[in-house]
Amino acid sequence: MTVVEMRDVRKVYGTGPDPVAALDGVSLRIEPGEFVAITGSSGSGKSTLMHLVGCLDTATSGHVAIAGEDVSRAGSDRLARLRNRSIGFVFQAFNLLPRLDVQRNIELPLVYAGISAAERRERAREAAAKVNLTDRLTHRPSQLSGGQCQRVAVARALVNDPALLLADEPTGNLDSVNGADVLKLLSGLHELGRTVVLVTHDPAVAARAVRLIELSDGRIIKDTAS
Amino acid sequence: MSWFAGLLIGLREIREHKFRSFLTMLGVILGVASLLAMFALTAGIATSWRTTMQQMGGLERVGINDKEVSLEFADMKALSPGRTLTDAEALRSASELISHVAPEMQAGGTLSAPDGETINARIVGTWPDYLAVQQHVVKRGRFITGLDEERGTRVVVLGDAMVAGLWPTEHDSGGDFIGRVITINGRPFSVVGVLERYEREEDKRRAAAQAAGKSTGRLALAGGGSGGGGGGRRDPFRWKNESVIVPLSTFYHEFRSGQTNAPPLAMAKIDGLNFRVRDIARFDEALAEAGGILQQTRRGIDDYDFDTREDWFERMESSLRATKLSGGLIAGISLLVGGIGIANIMLASIAQRVRELGVRLAVGARRRDVFLQILAESTVIGVVGGLLGLGAGVLLLQLLGLVAPMDSPPVIEWSAVMISVGFATSVGVLSGLYPAWCASRLDPISALRYE
Repeated sequence: MTVVEMRDVRKVYGTGPDPVAALDGVSLRIEPGEFVAITGSSGSGKSTLMHLVGCLDTATSGHVAIAGEDVSRAGSDRLARLRNRSIGFVFQAFNLLPRLDVQRNIELPLVYAGISAAERRERAREAAAKVNLTDRLTHRPSQLSGGQCQRVAVARALVNDPALLLADEPTGNLDSVNGADVLKLLSGLHELGRTVVLVTHDPAVAARAVRLIELSDGRIIKDTAS
Repeated sequence: MSWFAGLLIGLREIREHKFRSFLTMLGVILGVASLLAMFALTAGIATSWRTTMQQMGGLERVGINDKEVSLEFADMKALSPGRTLTDAEALRSASELISHVAPEMQAGGTLSAPDGETINARIVGTWPDYLAVQQHVVKRGRFITGLDEERGTRVVVLGDAMVAGLWPTEHDSGGDFIGRVITINGRPFSVVGVLERYEREEDKRRAAAQAAGKSTGRLALAGGGSGGGGGGRRDPFRWKNESVIVPLSTFYHEFRSGQTNAPPLAMAKIDGLNFRVRDIARFDEALAEAGGILQQTRRGIDDYDFDTREDWFERMESSLRATKLSGGLIAGISLLVGGIGIANIMLASIAQRVRELGVRLAVGARRRDVFLQILAESTVIGVVGGLLGLGAGVLLLQLLGLVAPMDSPPVIEWSAVMISVGFATSVGVLSGLYPAWCASRLDPISALRYE
């Protein structure tokens, strides 16, 4: 099952006389187990591409299928379900909920999947083990370092066993040591068979991926797979 | 996500922001407190009115009065014998729906106790049914009986105020007056019964408070009015306490038949005629039946009127309704203000939490999950505010009781509690709808970017 399939996707912002095409005819396939970096300068369209891949938005035209499901015309509920089941997000700013402890932060996607409290606890524990944070489950994000926060975020992204791990500038808010640490974690997950998509403007970070897709002005100008 | 999970999130949110939540709830708390207090006060008034009403004979008591006949029958008026004992006899023997009938003859007279004082009083001659019709309670001895009536014995039943008038010192020390002989207009009567002292609830409480020695200046002042009902306010039980009751036949023979041209007892005019309806549910039927019987005794002349308590009751109910309405309006407005307060704070708290809501959306919360979460929060605020408001309402009532002792003690009914909390809950739900809708319309991408 292809994880991401896009054919001739356009995304246009604004409806006035001067609409801006953030994506202008993008086609790409990402297969299970790939480790892809999407790069490009600011305004290249990589964020828009990430939003489409992450089911946070829908394309203006063209075909988009995520985890085998056509989402070209999906409504907000279907997108929410896909985000919940098939995608794990890791953000630049960690985006943990400050008032929940680590355990509950990791559980969050499971809450919306309607999973019982006991099973949530169990699976959150397993996910925390994958990022070596089992001893921090009762801490709050404010009691953790940046690197630890990002590891919690990775655990949260993994807890639903998603088809795709989508990391948006995951090292952007970290120092080089912690950044390297998180990248190593992502590489390790890739080696375990996870599909990982990394969105970054930093060539050094992008270099950690196996496949590199570079965008400019809404088009793919380089794809090392093709 | 379930509604229950939403409630849990709402509860946690409130715990995290205790002070903010309390301020948010304040409007609801005050609204519910005033609503509850209003309900309790009106319920208290209603209860004491009903008790008074009951003591005065209740709705079941109906009087029969004379009425001016209409012009077309004016020349036939003389045909009707008017209100006589025959009416009473006929009602008693022919009516199914009437349980008690009490005709009355009255006269002013002088009571004198050889071992006590001499007082003026109003003497009533009546039947034993008078006890039930006027809801009298015998404290000592017995009431007049059918045998007394048949034999025309010289027995008398005295109200508490009369006993107090005749034997002031012994009355206060609680002496026994049964079997004593007094004279009424010079004729000896023996006391066979003494009636209960009738008091309004508030007078009873005042008396109790005074007895307990708690009488502050204010209480003592108010208590002055309760002594014999002489004070500024009208004591509805005064006439009951001043009863002097003798058998009707005795009354007639002793005080009426001596007059010239006295008619036989059955044709004698009576000064009052009251009866008691057996079943209040068949009140109108009973009146119709009594009307039919009176048509016969009055020879078809429509010269009587029923005096019922329904009008009085109606007036009482409508004034209670007015009180409830105005109190409810004030409480409603304060609840409305409370609701606006909740909506306002919820909007502010959503603005503070855009990022959090964005994260929730990103990990799979649907719009309805976000909607439910915010709605659950405002509902919890409403419910908790309502419960705290109940407590505040009880405190408010106690405070009111301390500052200004009330004639009728407030009564907190379950229905009032339910309505108050129900209102608070609806206010919570309603005021959460708009903020919840706003939150559910958030775009996940811009919410995640929000700083």
